[in-house]
Amino acid sequence: MIDEATLAQMNGEYLMPPDAGPAWRAAAEYGFDMSLIEDALQLTPEQRLEQHQRALDLILEVKEAGERHAAK
Amino acid sequence: MPQNDKALLSRLKEQKVEFVIIGGVCGVLHGASLVTLDLDICCRFSRENLRRIEAAAKDLHPCHRLTANKLPLELTDELCGSLKNIYLNTDLGILDCLSEVAGVGDYEEVLKQSISHSLSYGEFRMLNLDALIAAKSAVGREKDLSTVKLLQAIKERKEHQKELF
Repeated sequence: MIDEATLAQMNGEYLMPPDAGPAWRAAAEYGFDMSLIEDALQLTPEQRLEQHQRALDLILEVKEAGERHAAK
Repeated sequence: MPQNDKALLSRLKEQKVEFVIIGGVCGVLHGASLVTLDLDICCRFSRENLRRIEAAAKDLHPCHRLTANKLPLELTDELCGSLKNIYLNTDLGILDCLSEVAGVGDYEEVLKQSISHSLSYGEFRMLNLDALIAAKSAVGREKDLSTVKLLQAIKERKEHQKELF
């Protein structure tokens, strides 16, 4: 039997780390997906930059596809 | 035009440009989940260093991206003495070179408030987290202030978990 809290997390609710400080909580409340930050902090700076490049490439690809579509 | 920060950084390194990574890419290196469409650096605006930037971009069709006619980057000694910033569009994306950073200061001050980090393609300097927070706060746009919230959270977490970079 899955409890309610676990189910909520499965559905995307962020589990605040027990040791989260006020700035961390404020950023989460502001709307940042802090689970992404937790993941990013486990990476090296070089890996973070590579991840950023992949995201950027995807965004630009979608943008270009949109522009091609609009030009038709 | 695709943005390739790694290639731009490698070229700057190859030409021995004196610079510090600032802006969004610096935030990414510190762990922020941002997507930024340009590479911002703060650099020494000496003639020699500006010539190095020109050499790094020379076969990338660099142009002053904010000029009406997208003037090509063609430095002269006179121009080097007048420029405070260089906003470039290149075949590898946007490279913005600033002589100072609001909230931090000129290149010497930026250099003092930077940290060195080794990537597989070289050793680079980037603003430390406190200086990046000061810079973003000084700009004061809504998107920068929201980034400040994120950077403050990252700073807090890193202070708590010393093993994190």
